[in-house]
Amino acid sequence: MSAPRWASRLHLPTLGVAAVILLGWIMLSWRYGAYVLPSPLAVARGFADIVATGEIWRHTAASLGRILVGFGGAVVVALLAGLAGFVSRTARGVIHDFLSVLNSTSVFVWIVISIIWFGLSNWAPIFTTFMITLPVVASNIVEGVANVDRRLLEMGDVYRLSGRQKFTAIVVPSTLPYLVAGMKVGFGLALKVSVVAEIFGVTSGIGYVMNYSREILATQMVFVWALVMILVMTATDTLVFDTVSRRLERWR
Amino acid sequence: MAVTLEVSGVGKDFLIPVIDSVSFTVEAGEFVCLLGPNGCGKTTLLRIVGGLEPPTRGRVLLGGEPVAGSGRHTKKVGVVFQEDRLLPWMTLRQNVELVLIPLGVGAHARRGTADRYLRLAGLGGFEEYYPARVSGGMRQRAAIARALAIEPDLLLMDEPFGALDAQNRRIMQTEVRRMWRETGRTILFVTHAIDEAVAIGTTLIMLSARPSRIRVQVRNDGERDRATLVDDLNALIMEEVERQQGASSAS
Repeated sequence: MSAPRWASRLHLPTLGVAAVILLGWIMLSWRYGAYVLPSPLAVARGFADIVATGEIWRHTAASLGRILVGFGGAVVVALLAGLAGFVSRTARGVIHDFLSVLNSTSVFVWIVISIIWFGLSNWAPIFTTFMITLPVVASNIVEGVANVDRRLLEMGDVYRLSGRQKFTAIVVPSTLPYLVAGMKVGFGLALKVSVVAEIFGVTSGIGYVMNYSREILATQMVFVWALVMILVMTATDTLVFDTVSRRLERWR
Repeated sequence: MAVTLEVSGVGKDFLIPVIDSVSFTVEAGEFVCLLGPNGCGKTTLLRIVGGLEPPTRGRVLLGGEPVAGSGRHTKKVGVVFQEDRLLPWMTLRQNVELVLIPLGVGAHARRGTADRYLRLAGLGGFEEYYPARVSGGMRQRAAIARALAIEPDLLLMDEPFGALDAQNRRIMQTEVRRMWRETGRTILFVTHAIDEAVAIGTTLIMLSARPSRIRVQVRNDGERDRATLVDDLNALIMEEVERQQGASSAS
């Protein structure tokens, strides 16, 4: 539908800089060799390989599956936190305090703890993803709930809307943009974090296969899988989140 | 059905007394304008009458029923605020339909009623528009349509045209006057503009400076010349404004 839109998005100056970087990359890879810096051609060939063998789908699906469980769980808990924050101001304060504690906990803490608790299993990256994305999504939702326009709620009182009617007609629509923004940031974080957690103890997923490629000295495959990550992230951003945000903003 | 509003001995303290004691009665079908200097508690009084805020003293009876802070009475009160307070994610029609749901109106009848009142407010053809797509005056019309759609026993309006330009203000005054004639609702209208009050109200109540009482209550039924009435009220309000400023600089 939108060849012109794509064309306008590919800024010429950006393309120019990309070309310069590519040239630099090629020269550096000549200078330092394929182990340190594989050539763009080797990376492209590696990418074609994993697409041809279907390996790309197996590992991407494994990573996305874990993210779906961990991040999905975080979204569910965050929604419950938002609901609690709507019902009670005290709850909102408690949630806020706990979220700031969670927010300041390092990824590595959760990776180590999850290995101790869940061993070398799927649950370790899932748990890590959950713990890291929960505060991001939840603080967005709680902020959204706190920012619901009091004057609109008062209007609801004037016309005697029930608690549920106010919730569905006023609170949910005004919180949705915060939820989507939180999920967008949270998903990006989930992908980055779960990949790190996959280095330990699992035998599938993008993180696992990157680390494995390093061990067998196939540096070009490390680059290939990094590329896969970037593609997954860009695709979900434009296909899922941007579309949803646009739909939500229809009335603006 | 429009009902009688009785305000007796109502007062409100916010650290200092804002409203001393105000009593008046609004007969069914009257259009009462509440005037007064800025900060004299007009809006607060309106909010107390609407049950949005409890009074410190006194009571408000609507058709004989007390209006509590919780709004548990059975009478219907529509409010038009200074801002339109429309839900931006709903079309004008959906905004009006929403307030009909608690009244138990069926989906089909909701739509009919919403469209009827939007047309009454001069918004025929704009039912599907989102508030952000129409002008401020049209949004305020929609808010009025919403308030009228519940067929309120009492319609409260709190400086509803404050945000509009002079031309739109004039137009809206005529429109509100027309809607009042066509629907026969009891209206309590807060404004600080004397010419506005004289142009639309059947009864004018002017509050004094803080802590406020009723300074003067006049019928505006055409027997008194409007121009003199405006002048008289202007003189009174100047006195009150000066009194209020004198009191605040003295304290």
